[in-house]
Amino acid sequence: MDHRRYMKVLKLDEAEVASRRAFFELTDEDLSRLAALRPFAEKVTDAIVEDFYKLLLGHRETKKFFPDEATVRRVKKTQRDYFLGLFNGKCDLAYVEDRLRVGTAHQRIGLSTKWYLGAYRKYMQLICDHLFEELRDQDKVRDAFASIQKLVYFDVVLATDTYLAANIDAIERHQAAIRELSTPVIRVHDRILLLPLVGSIDSHRANQVMDNVLLKVSEAQAKCIIIDIAGVPVVDTKVADNLVKTTAAVRLLGAETILTGITAQVARTIIQLGVDISAMHTLSRLAEGIELALSLVGKSIQSSARRPTRRNKRKTVRT
Amino acid sequence: MSESVEERHEMRIESEDDITLVRRKVRDLAATCHFDIFLGAAVTTAASELARNVWVHAGHGVAVIERLTDDVRQGVRVEFRDEGPGIADLDRVLAGGYSTANSMGLGLSGSRRLVDEFSIDSAPGRGTRVTFVKWTPF
Amino acid sequence: MTGPIPILRVGRVLLATIQTELRDNVANAFQQDVLLALERGAMAGLVIDISGLETVDTYVARVLADTGRMAKLMGVETVLVGMRPEIAATLVRMGYAMEGVQTALNLQEGLAALRKKPREE
Repeated sequence: MDHRRYMKVLKLDEAEVASRRAFFELTDEDLSRLAALRPFAEKVTDAIVEDFYKLLLGHRETKKFFPDEATVRRVKKTQRDYFLGLFNGKCDLAYVEDRLRVGTAHQRIGLSTKWYLGAYRKYMQLICDHLFEELRDQDKVRDAFASIQKLVYFDVVLATDTYLAANIDAIERHQAAIRELSTPVIRVHDRILLLPLVGSIDSHRANQVMDNVLLKVSEAQAKCIIIDIAGVPVVDTKVADNLVKTTAAVRLLGAETILTGITAQVARTIIQLGVDISAMHTLSRLAEGIELALSLVGKSIQSSARRPTRRNKRKTVRT
Repeated sequence: MSESVEERHEMRIESEDDITLVRRKVRDLAATCHFDIFLGAAVTTAASELARNVWVHAGHGVAVIERLTDDVRQGVRVEFRDEGPGIADLDRVLAGGYSTANSMGLGLSGSRRLVDEFSIDSAPGRGTRVTFVKWTPF
Repeated sequence: MTGPIPILRVGRVLLATIQTELRDNVANAFQQDVLLALERGAMAGLVIDISGLETVDTYVARVLADTGRMAKLMGVETVLVGMRPEIAATLVRMGYAMEGVQTALNLQEGLAALRKKPREE
């Protein structure tokens, strides 16, 4: 997933950036101060980057992310740019996009958060040491450090975001796959379909259910579809509304819907919608639904009871 | 975050036949975006409703039909502009409880429910501008 | 017959198949043709096949519903058949209920539905 999609998934827009800046108390004054510190930054960047990577390369678990000289050279250059980026005097969407690009690259190589975020501690230490050395004036050091810290924490949150967004993306892809597998419409009899709904239903899935139901009813020219919702843990007003709409749409096709697996709770939710349910078929048990469906298509289940003592009763479908 | 316009078509609405042409263009763009039949029907019907509103209430107007992408999704954006009488009591019309002899109300509120983004700017004497966007799912 | 929408007699049922865009003059001619055919009398029902319609907006829906109402005034029930799944979905999502219109999956079902209804005298 690239950094632009991250921004979309995380809803990182101008308003969000402004909100974060406000929370970090990151003002224009801070940014000006950082821009004024640019000469300082350029002077100390090489030393800071060297010491920073001494830690990463000296630690067994982090060393393995920098397997060769070429990689080390490359990341040192990136790190230098990253450090200097703190002193551009800007903190806008372009800045965010830039930081995310770097964060995305780290997340992609598999560097886990404990190392990535933990490394910021060293960063701050090195900056603090150099500030004291270069600036001398205690007040200046304190103000400079305060401003740098604000922007660095801002960056740390962005770094966390990249890992968060990657997880969200993975979850969404898995959910999409699960959805595909979990709206199977089954033909239980000549003109009767059955859809056992299992799992939680969000609005996206609810729309898919309606579309799928209509497609299958039309394809099969089914007179009746039973939708069993016993396997849906939460039926809120949105889901209930969608079920009611699905029933209406199926009727427009000229077929009937039977809702089964209705609990008392669900019944209450549907009533609260205030829609006209007089024409809806709702039942608590799937078995009842099947019997009703059969009667709607002019069939019924009948026991054959000719010789009850010698044979097990057999159930056959009689027209 | 960054939308780009891949295709743009500007069409005049001056006769009833033009409603059909607008509908066809929207349907074509929807197909290019690989909208499924349900998304396609939604965007085409919304466009048909609003194009007809322009013709019935203003007599003539313009439809700007665009195909968009935003790095992740594809979408269709349609804007209708006319110098017609405008809509008084816009809020009530959008709520869908308003029915004139030509029931513009239901078409407007109905269209809004079919799309992802919807904006309308209209007042008596100021004409009407309606814009909507429909995207492929995330 | 004055308009482009063909209307056939199938026994005592009128069958109209709509496959073209319903523009104002086409819709008016259609309704006129239906009424004329019903006037000739002894019809037990009207089936309107809309399987050829790709888009049904509120205008088209109203024309269909009005046609049904007109037929009813003349004592004849109407059944709409062949609605495409995406059209049903769109109408419902718009909030358009299409009240008072009977529907059936196809012509066969439509005829069966009409047979069940007692003819209004």
